[in-house]
Amino acid sequence: MKTKTEKTADASDVILEVRDLVQIFNGRAVLNGLNFKVRRGETFIIMGGSGCGKTTLLRILIGAQKPTSGSVHLFGEDITGLEPWELDRVRLRFGMNFQFGALFQSMTVGENIALPLREHSRVDPSLIEMVVKMKLELVGLTGFENFKPSEISGGMRKRVGLARALALDPELLFSDEPTSGLDPVMTAVVDQLTLDSTRKIGVTAVVVSHDMTSAFRIATRMLMLGSGPRQGEIVAEGTPEEIKNNPDPFLQQFIRGEADGPIPFRLSQDDYLKHLLGDG
Amino acid sequence: MKFLVRLLRRSEGNGYWVLNARIYSFLLWGLSNPKILSPALTLGQMIRIGVQALPMASLVALSVGFILAMQASTELGKLGADSFIPDLVSLSLLRELGPLLIAIIVVGRSGSAVTAEIGTMKVNEEIEALKVMAISPVRYLVVPRYLALVIMLPILTIFGNCVGLAGGWAVCAGTLDMPTSFYIRHAVDRPELWDLYSGLIKSFVFAHLIITIACHQGLNVEGGAEGVGQATTKSVVFSILWIIISDAILTGLFFFVS
Repeated sequence: MKTKTEKTADASDVILEVRDLVQIFNGRAVLNGLNFKVRRGETFIIMGGSGCGKTTLLRILIGAQKPTSGSVHLFGEDITGLEPWELDRVRLRFGMNFQFGALFQSMTVGENIALPLREHSRVDPSLIEMVVKMKLELVGLTGFENFKPSEISGGMRKRVGLARALALDPELLFSDEPTSGLDPVMTAVVDQLTLDSTRKIGVTAVVVSHDMTSAFRIATRMLMLGSGPRQGEIVAEGTPEEIKNNPDPFLQQFIRGEADGPIPFRLSQDDYLKHLLGDG
Repeated sequence: MKFLVRLLRRSEGNGYWVLNARIYSFLLWGLSNPKILSPALTLGQMIRIGVQALPMASLVALSVGFILAMQASTELGKLGADSFIPDLVSLSLLRELGPLLIAIIVVGRSGSAVTAEIGTMKVNEEIEALKVMAISPVRYLVVPRYLALVIMLPILTIFGNCVGLAGGWAVCAGTLDMPTSFYIRHAVDRPELWDLYSGLIKSFVFAHLIITIACHQGLNVEGGAEGVGQATTKSVVFSILWIIISDAILTGLFFFVS
């Protein structure tokens, strides 16, 4: 049995907690009663097939979307009931790395990284310039501050996105498909950067990904969301070892990337013959 | 004041009036904390929306001055009333054509550009990124553009009126041999100060309509490039429609009040 002190320490250790989260779109439950916790210092991977609700879940976690029911507790505060300006206070404590970078096209790389610093700190411009250089060095892009996002490659844009997400030294980093569309070397580089952020800077990372190689490389804990007949539920949760050894056929098919298995190939809900010949 | 700011910020949703409420909440807040109004961004937008529109606005105003003077000279000449041409040109420009035509030019040039720019940012998740960084898109993107246009459109209108009067003078001096001093005396003396003010009030209202419609359409873009195109078209059509309707209402109001 845990002592009172241990329980308090345990509670303060939880940086993100999702309780009974439900999201319904057009009468269909995309997320159906999710419950999970992320502890400080973890690299937590949320994985699942296309259309399983990963991005919807991430949007709810960052407060961009309100769930149908349930709650999301970030840093111990339920963000689902917060007003937009109250949410801003919480948002200053986390960073978000978007799938395609979401860099401001009209600004240079340096200005992109400097923006959150300029808006939320009273730091001297020369110091901001220095921080920008440090963040660019962190992602291996020293000297690129005057380039426009359209002048650099997709992989570099993702790295700038990561640097911008880390600009305010957040406690928590959300990352949406950080390695999708990258070549194997660039994938390894982005993985290494995520590992550096978590191990060297001490950031907790919540990464949405369907890239299994990358996920097993960086995860300390993983969660698999179901799709098809198991849409909206958590298929499995655990350490990478536990996930690898989990016999669930749904999970194993996803890990091995097999076409045949419980994950349905056909996403259409109507009967094919009926669809072909008409209802009559 | 703080209560009013909070009340306006509490408004939820993506509607047109909600956007208006948020703009005014930031403007009120900015009275006590000017830094939140991003003076540097506002200045940049004033140059883009206002200063860079000067050549086009001048050309249109000059043409309108020509047209007004020539059309007037045909009809007034028959009545032997050529001396009233400067009066007609200046009154038409100050009260009506100056504000209206410059506003329509700005809709086509800047209103559409603002919608396309903000709409593209929405499609590229840049608006979402601003929100996640705890930067209000209304404060960061809309308010500087709003202030820029509300300041610059009346200035452009005054400038356009002057250029239009010069166009009228060119016709009067060139084809009717009207002395320049006569033209200036009539063009400047005939209108009352209220004629200038009524035009500027219209210009302010048009600026409000153009920029709020443009930003509202941009912020509510759905879908990809097609959505941006549709929003831009809507922005131009709705702006011109509401400019003309509000012009009719204001003209009626000024007519009965004066």
